[in-house]
Amino acid sequence: MERWHLIAGLILVYLAVTLGIGLAAGRRASRSVTGYVAGDRRFGLLVMYFVTGATVFSAFAFLGGPGWAYSRGAAAFYILSYGALGIAPWYFIGPRTAALGRRFGYVTQAQLLVGRFPSRFLSALMAALSVAAFVPYITLQMRGAGIVIEAVTDGHVPLAAGAAIAYGIVALYVLASGVAAVGWTNTFQGIFMVAIAWSLGIYLPFRLYGGVGEMFGRILAERPEMLSVPGLTAAGDPWSWGGYSSAILVSAIGLMMWPHLFMKAFTARDDRTLRRTVVLFPTFQLFLIPVFLIGFAGVLLPDSPTDADFILPFLILRSELPVLVVGLFCAGALSASMSTGDALLHAAASVTVEDGVGPFRRLSDAAQRRLMRILVLVVGVVAYWFALDEDSSLVVLLLSAYGIICQFAPPICAALFWRRATTPGIVAGLVAGSATAVFFFTTGYLGMELRPLDLHEGVLGLMVHIPVLVGVSLATRPQDRNHTDAFLNPRGSPETGESGGGTPGSERIAPDTQRG
Amino acid sequence: MNRVKLVRAAATIYFVLFLIFVTWPGFVPFNRPLPLVLGLPFNMAAIALWVGFGAVVLFVLDRSEERNRAGRPGQDARDGGAG
Repeated sequence: MERWHLIAGLILVYLAVTLGIGLAAGRRASRSVTGYVAGDRRFGLLVMYFVTGATVFSAFAFLGGPGWAYSRGAAAFYILSYGALGIAPWYFIGPRTAALGRRFGYVTQAQLLVGRFPSRFLSALMAALSVAAFVPYITLQMRGAGIVIEAVTDGHVPLAAGAAIAYGIVALYVLASGVAAVGWTNTFQGIFMVAIAWSLGIYLPFRLYGGVGEMFGRILAERPEMLSVPGLTAAGDPWSWGGYSSAILVSAIGLMMWPHLFMKAFTARDDRTLRRTVVLFPTFQLFLIPVFLIGFAGVLLPDSPTDADFILPFLILRSELPVLVVGLFCAGALSASMSTGDALLHAAASVTVEDGVGPFRRLSDAAQRRLMRILVLVVGVVAYWFALDEDSSLVVLLLSAYGIICQFAPPICAALFWRRATTPGIVAGLVAGSATAVFFFTTGYLGMELRPLDLHEGVLGLMVHIPVLVGVSLATRPQDRNHTDAFLNPRGSPETGESGGGTPGSERIAPDTQRG
Repeated sequence: MNRVKLVRAAATIYFVLFLIFVTWPGFVPFNRPLPLVLGLPFNMAAIALWVGFGAVVLFVLDRSEERNRAGRPGQDARDGGAG
């Protein structure tokens, strides 16, 4: 038996365990739409923690992280910087979102927004922007899975087949079990990823250089430019401070605003769990340190992989580790890809049904669930189709996706914290901000570099978005105070029988208006 | 300003400073590789410290909010949080 047979065998075992956990989880959840989308709102701390972490740490962190450290040096530090910044505001936003979800039955981000700012156009726009951002992100995860499988099986299982196998399994358990499967498989995969990253991150520098400090000492002597922020661009030129700083800003805001994170907040058992998840999140973030160490370990090697994203499998195979370790590594990287991919597939389908179709056409619970399952497949196939395309512009698309996602920040903050915001203001701001981001993305893509100071188009979008939102809101008629009270002071939940600020009237207004 | 609000303000200030000191121009003074801290370049260790201490700040904030909730009878754990 050849070496790669054993590795492939290990991966199959790993995938079988993941599938088993995913399918078993579904048997505990109820058959309602709330059960499918929001897991009956009963995730505990352990599951929430890993769902959040594993969802955010994707193939980008596990393969792209080392790839960046390897090829762009200190530029990769931006990835370490933004996570904690992005999650901290969730300490207040998360519980507030969850409280509104429980009160009005929201299961998606757009429902929350449209609840405060009734507009079917807004709902459809949010759905379209979310899905536009999800597809390239899912594609990236699929390619990640394919890359790992192709690399460790010595090319015997090509990228296309590897991605198809991994995502066939993801589709199976997401179709069968909905968010419950995503929760339990992510818990399993999250633990796996952390263990693998730390052991490899310490092992490789010791094996290749005799220690972490020794490794950086040598990099400093031979390639000092790698250890100075803002590092290098993909082409190997020095990166700009504007690009580095705005990447942190856009990623932090984008992370906070991903629609699937909002859906996670709606699945939390209680606010205590949500808050603790936020408190523990930076500990997950520190797992990027060993990931970077893996990438830096490759910097001084005489030969290099064809693509920087292959650095992790490249090093693993070079170091002639035991088959078991290679198999485990592969599974760790696969779980990074799959644990993000499953949540995204599920979220993309849910958002399309709930926000894209729901406001325009009433569907029965059963019909909604059926439509979501079809959409999981459709989105999966579309993303897979892009994954087969070797065109590197996907990374560019992903950056643009972040530019769009961070445009959700001003409307969400306004919905939760600013009484004077109005529906026309929100719609105008979102349209103007997204259009600006798309404009700078497109012109950059066509070779015209119009962005001032190399700022990310998402930041430029926000610079237009916020003044438009504020200006138009102030120029239009304020919302009814009873209505805004329900969102700005959601403590008066019917379950506890309190009326912390919302009047009975406000509770009747919002559920009616959320469907536009 | 009472204690809860003070902790909230302090946490907010911490994360604003965090943002300022990991981006331009706040990061420039820390942007050097030496001395190595636990084997890591100084600039990377500085960012890791902001992240790690961020966890501590969030933990303290959480303690303070919990105590505050416990001290207000009638508000259970499901309440909508403060902002």
